[in-house]
Amino acid sequence: MLSRVADNLYWLGRYLQRAENTARLINVNALLMLDLPRRVKLGWAPLIAIVGADDIFRTHYSEATEDNVVHFLATDTRYPGSISSSLLHAREILRTVRDTVPRDAWERLNDVYFYVQEHGETGVASAQRQAFLGEVITGALLLDGVLISSMSHDVGYQFLRIGSYLEQADMTTRILDVRSIDVGREQSGADLSPFENIVWMSVLRSLTAYQMYRRHMRTRVSGASVLRFLLQNRQFPRSVMFCLSSIASTLPLLPDNRKIERAIERTRALVRDANIDALVKAEGGVPRLMDEIQIGLGELHTALSDAYFQMA
Amino acid sequence: MAFEWSQYKCGEAFDELLAAPGRPRPAARKLLNYLQSLTPKDLADRRLAADLAIKVMGITFTVYSEGKTLDRAWPFDIIPRVIERREWEQTERGLKQRVNALNQFIQDIYGDQKIVKDKVVPAQVLTESANFRPQCVGVQPKYGVWAHICGSDLVRDGDGTLYVLEDNLRVPSGVSYMLENRMVIKRVWPELFQITNILPVDDYPAQLYDTLAALSPRPGDQPTVVLLTPGIYNSAYFEHAYLAQQMGVELVEGTDLLVGDDDCVYMRTIYGPKRVDVIYRRIDDMFLDPETFRADSVLGVKGLMRAWIRGKVGLANAPGAGVADDKVIYAYVPAMIKYYLGEDPILPNVPSFLCLDELHRKHVLANLDKLVVKPANESGGYGMLIGPRSSREERERFARLIEKNPRNYMAQPTLSLSTGPTITDEGVEPRHLDLRPFILSRGESTYVTTGGLTRVALVKNSLVVNSSQGGGSKDTWVVDLDEEVTPGQLQEQLQEQNQ
Repeated sequence: MLSRVADNLYWLGRYLQRAENTARLINVNALLMLDLPRRVKLGWAPLIAIVGADDIFRTHYSEATEDNVVHFLATDTRYPGSISSSLLHAREILRTVRDTVPRDAWERLNDVYFYVQEHGETGVASAQRQAFLGEVITGALLLDGVLISSMSHDVGYQFLRIGSYLEQADMTTRILDVRSIDVGREQSGADLSPFENIVWMSVLRSLTAYQMYRRHMRTRVSGASVLRFLLQNRQFPRSVMFCLSSIASTLPLLPDNRKIERAIERTRALVRDANIDALVKAEGGVPRLMDEIQIGLGELHTALSDAYFQMA
Repeated sequence: MAFEWSQYKCGEAFDELLAAPGRPRPAARKLLNYLQSLTPKDLADRRLAADLAIKVMGITFTVYSEGKTLDRAWPFDIIPRVIERREWEQTERGLKQRVNALNQFIQDIYGDQKIVKDKVVPAQVLTESANFRPQCVGVQPKYGVWAHICGSDLVRDGDGTLYVLEDNLRVPSGVSYMLENRMVIKRVWPELFQITNILPVDDYPAQLYDTLAALSPRPGDQPTVVLLTPGIYNSAYFEHAYLAQQMGVELVEGTDLLVGDDDCVYMRTIYGPKRVDVIYRRIDDMFLDPETFRADSVLGVKGLMRAWIRGKVGLANAPGAGVADDKVIYAYVPAMIKYYLGEDPILPNVPSFLCLDELHRKHVLANLDKLVVKPANESGGYGMLIGPRSSREERERFARLIEKNPRNYMAQPTLSLSTGPTITDEGVEPRHLDLRPFILSRGESTYVTTGGLTRVALVKNSLVVNSSQGGGSKDTWVVDLDEEVTPGQLQEQLQEQNQ
């Protein structure tokens, strides 16, 4: 496995996961807006905060209106994390590693890439939006399925998986971070707390976690239980713990992996040992934990890059 | 009905599928009858299906335009070009003979230069060749083979004679499109494969792998073979990725490789450096090694020539093989075949006038309006003068160029390239085409692709088939008639062929 190829596969995993997550994020926010009364102005700005793109958004747009935010996140290629940009990057990468990835994967990526190219401008309008984003999500899932079922689960595949799990863990913590602040804050004079469980339900939905949450937790939706589920659950594929454990499970195939192992362990301990109930009650407790987890994920990325991607 | 072949306007050129309007050539009869049975909608649907398949399969080529690189869908025509098997076998023998002589020539040129001493090829032609590499003198590649992969361009003139137009011995490209065209056409016309005996083409990647693996300097079954690409912005990048994938070898860029103190080549992997045995390089000589050739090359690998000369790594094609790819050297290939093999050439050269020769030069300058003038070392159809279609200014410019540097120019009569029926916006019309088969040489045996890549000039009356200049391609069928013809039909065929 060439270092350059390992690096590319890792980023391929990240970009594909990012495209899917961004599509879900927009979709669920639209539904949430429909459920909240007009006087509660949660709006679209939190989405920009979740993806951490405030600066670049403000450079190009004056207001966080629905149209602006959706356009920015879905089709604006000036934002490198948009669905269009993610697919574009994924495609450029897949082109350079075509010899390591099954041909079907290339065809599926072309499907969704060209779909977004052709339908992006009309697809973000609210009437078509759900169908459009649905196609993006389906396309990403199909591609994922091809990779799982037709690519050898060799070391290259492990880098791809590491990329997607790291991206997922990152997105899950970002959503939890921003939404926990939203819920705690009073919105334009209107208290959001009566709608708190609607917001937490939308958090679950944006991570396709609602149904699994109900099965596992068997309790009404509350901040603490949602946090517990999305951080610590060991069976749900988008929980931070599941993602970290999945990354850890690839280690036996990776050479010289002690530093990677240590970085995973540190972050896993952080998630495992978190006292959720106490954090929820403490002022700024949840955002602080999310920051620490984010730093842990950053360290993991650096460790991978130092060990495998940097060329000697 | 979609198309009535009796309405097909065969031009003056030889048509590959029809002897005359309404008269299919024997190998094309089933195809044409079938096409005739389709409704216009059927045909349009199939064409759409092909476009879609090409898009989804991501078959592209890269063009540079206004400083940007654009990835264009591969232009493709769904009506195949058909060649009868017996004709193809004869062509195949001719190609093997030709490439065999070319390899002996390159070996001789970097060795004793007997062919120069015996005055078959003038010394001046060599010393002034842009592709002669003094660094290769005295090197002895395995099996004496320098051009492991050759792509020769064949064209058919009005009387039906198949000529070799040029041999590409540096980094010939196009074979992936030959393979992909077949994949597309199988999706478009699956039923035709049941009624026609079309010989398969998909053996090429395995044959190429065997050719490369045989160059390994280390004994053993599993040599490490890599394909060295200039990267994603190269116009043939699609092909590089495709072939690496098909052969199951690593696709590497120059920065992935390094030459160690032991003169061995290594690639940078997540496990540390790994020894490389054979490199299928798709980078031009001049960029291969900044230590030996262009010092500013960032595409190559420092020390690669050293590793190759010391026999630590196999390189295909060998550096310096391009010396025989020169359009002036080309004119001497028939003489080479005689000289090295003692045989008559099976495939003729296009008659050529070398401006180096005073008599030839006078003829060329007096007939610029009738001839095609080519520079010796350009490829891709650039820098040419097509006499009958040129302006007076262009002819005057070429006359000056020739006077200034006669060694660098040669001229050939304008051939009326053969045509094939092609779907255009104006209906099915004849378009000019050529054929590029690929030949693999491994010393003890030579392999030729079944058919090759048919390139077609999609612009009406154009003779330029290069994809960078408005060319497209067709699938190429070598059709075996022996199993499907009754004696009565054969009689009929022979009569038609004689007409």
